[in-house]
Amino acid sequence: MVDLPELRATLREEPVLATATVVVRGGPDSIAKLSAHATRTARAYALDGVPVLGISVFAALDDIGMASLDGILGGKLSTYRVVHLITAGDLQEAGFALLPTFGRPHLTLLLKTIDQVEPLLDMLGPARPNPHYGEMTGRRRR
Amino acid sequence: MIAVDIVADLNTEDETGYVWTFLDEARDPALIVPGTLVVAGDEDTPAVAVVVDLLPHPNGTIVHLDVLPGAIDNYLALARRVTATA
Repeated sequence: MVDLPELRATLREEPVLATATVVVRGGPDSIAKLSAHATRTARAYALDGVPVLGISVFAALDDIGMASLDGILGGKLSTYRVVHLITAGDLQEAGFALLPTFGRPHLTLLLKTIDQVEPLLDMLGPARPNPHYGEMTGRRRR
Repeated sequence: MIAVDIVADLNTEDETGYVWTFLDEARDPALIVPGTLVVAGDEDTPAVAVVVDLLPHPNGTIVHLDVLPGAIDNYLALARRVTATA
């Protein structure tokens, strides 16, 4: 078994997400896509030594700026015509853990098994238009 | 349909702040060279990106991508315009 980078080492220290926090993901998603993305994460990272099935999402943590909903939609997700929106509370109530990983406002949504992809997709619901699609603000640049 | 050079989830980021994926998800890994413009994402969500670097990983090679802002249609229109006027 290979020694994978530890996802826990990437955790940010920040307050627990409010249940009303909006969680965003560029879409449209499908079972096949979510399965592929979760499997890719498990290929790349471990959580407490075990390959971790994870899905990347962003949280609208601020009212203004790059970590606000508008900032995410017009920045990191501006290349997505459509997005999925859900609250952190709804995800957590359904048993999905959200870890604040890497740079703010990125989160990793954890799946216990790949069978959770289907209920996750149901929860995400239909994708809706991204009002900031095509904006030139862009992602954070180095 | 737009041919995707390398499949990636453009929602991802790692500690670099860049989108990442594995090199073996490229349709032609030889195309994936630092500094090269590529189309990344998937058939539904293609985007123009710059290959930043390639890093060894225990399970393959990680590719970092700097996703460029704007709709891919804008880049296609630019390419058509400059080609037509050349």
